[in-house]
Amino acid sequence: MKKAISLALIAVLTLALFAACADSSPPASSPDDQSNLNLNRDAGSSPAAQNTPEDPPQASPAPDFDADRVIAVFTREEGSGTRDAFVSVTGVGEDMYAEAVVESETNQILTKVEENPYAIGYISVGSLSSSVKALTLDGVAPSNATILDGSYTLQRPLLVCVNEEKARDELVQDFIAFMLSAQGQAISATKWTAINAAAADYTPSGLTGTLKVGGSTSVEPLMQSIRQAYIDLNPSVTIEISGGGSGTGISEATSGVIDIGMSSRALRDNEKEALEDINIALDGVAVIVNPANPIENITIEQIKAIFTGEITRWSGVN
Amino acid sequence: MRGVFLVAALASVLAVALICLFLFAQGFPAIMEIGPLKFLFGTEWKPKQDIFGILPMILGSVYVTGGAILLGVPIGLFTALFMAKSCPKPLYRFLKPAINLMAGVPSVIYGFFGMMVLVPAIFELFGKRFDMMSGDSMLAASILLAMMILPTVINIAETNLRSVPQELYEGAVALGASHERAVFKVILPAARSGVMAAVVLGVGRAIGETMAVKMVAGNQAVLRLPHEFLKGVRTLTTNIVTEMGYVEHGSLHNGALIATGVVLFVFILIINMLFSVLNRDLPRRRRGKENAPNLSKEGAAL
Repeated sequence: MKKAISLALIAVLTLALFAACADSSPPASSPDDQSNLNLNRDAGSSPAAQNTPEDPPQASPAPDFDADRVIAVFTREEGSGTRDAFVSVTGVGEDMYAEAVVESETNQILTKVEENPYAIGYISVGSLSSSVKALTLDGVAPSNATILDGSYTLQRPLLVCVNEEKARDELVQDFIAFMLSAQGQAISATKWTAINAAAADYTPSGLTGTLKVGGSTSVEPLMQSIRQAYIDLNPSVTIEISGGGSGTGISEATSGVIDIGMSSRALRDNEKEALEDINIALDGVAVIVNPANPIENITIEQIKAIFTGEITRWSGVN
Repeated sequence: MRGVFLVAALASVLAVALICLFLFAQGFPAIMEIGPLKFLFGTEWKPKQDIFGILPMILGSVYVTGGAILLGVPIGLFTALFMAKSCPKPLYRFLKPAINLMAGVPSVIYGFFGMMVLVPAIFELFGKRFDMMSGDSMLAASILLAMMILPTVINIAETNLRSVPQELYEGAVALGASHERAVFKVILPAARSGVMAAVVLGVGRAIGETMAVKMVAGNQAVLRLPHEFLKGVRTLTTNIVTEMGYVEHGSLHNGALIATGVVLFVFILIINMLFSVLNRDLPRRRRGKENAPNLSKEGAAL
């Protein structure tokens, strides 16, 4: 009896949930949703991506968007690589607006921006979805081409670094050669931006041994994919990947505890003395708002003003 | 065979001891390095600049828990009274498993509910009028926690209300009290310490909740006053979980997060001690209940 009732209850709750979801699902996406982001996923980047058309203005900017409302600022937590890149490029630095809502996952930023018409946030370009609107930055939309030529300035390098001794190691050289080859760059282009679209093919070397790679958690997913592809070609090589953050990766690569360090920020001058750094991909940081927001473009100065709390209302943003 | 049981019993004690050891061994050096007063009463939390003050988080935990108790305990208590004293059998057979089901829902599901339903609803209702940034607020966290502590409060309060001797109720009714009056003026005061225990356990549940709170509270490490309940807040638990992902191993930041855990642990210890103190005079009443049937039999014999 109890069981039957519990089951009935679960069924009712599930139905209620579905009903609620059906109500709150976003309006059917328009065909030009994709123009928010003209990322070319193909490694051999075609010229089509070079001329990202300006975003067509929203057919009807939501009539009920009230520019006098408070800007809902969403940020990532201290220590996040995305946040580090964002605050250093925009000049927000350590003055992040204290009232900004802190979320520790990209998905939560996405959900909150999707739910709140007055929201603004930032995420890695690789994680963009059509449910939010990526703003153009000083008129430049985030795309593979604009990130690669540097005109989209809100970006960070994903790089690996090795100390002098490890740089002479055959296996390390071979693995890095793979990252920079056509196959490796094709993986970089899946969610990030490849730095070299015309790289040469890699041929397996038949080397054996073990490599330890560690550092930035932002580079880690890319490195995992590269590792898998490399091991498929060189089955007798073992590669261990650990996280720990860019700082850990750089210091352990310097001391030689690990063979290859990963970093999602450029090396500082004093770090460059002991390490050789190799860019393997670029990652753009997209500034996102709710699709109901009529704004299309934003400047670095405006971003800084919003994220330091100088501007708190949308009417303050031109 | 007794040895096996002893080992099993010791295993759980060992687990708690190890957790204590880990927390205090890793947390205390950090507290000492930051300075105990600066750590506990510092109002700013800026890990990048090595400023670690957790007063906003301590107060955040207190506010959110207080709100949950304020909203959840009256509902829970009335439900428990109804279930123990006035509920028709068929309805009880439906209510009891429903409440138990509520206790079994994982907290991340509550969190999702809060994020997708509560937060937008609060923003819709109060957003414009009170110039809110988003629905992520103390209020959202309190409502969600109130829902989450309901099963704990209801079940424990109900058990304790049921353990009040029936004679007290019968006596009150015999003296002319109505059913409601007997329940509120006689049964409820008699079960007072048990009800307090239910509240304390509810506090324990609320203060330790992490995932659901993180999804709806906003997580700003800003010192708040109680009347700012429409603004976001960071609690002790969410402070740890928000920042532990990227923290560098062995850094002071890492130590400060573990030290936050120490403070939380001390909170929970205090709550548990309160619970055992409140529970101490329960057995006496149970004995009273055992005696009760004899009395009534004697009464019948007379």
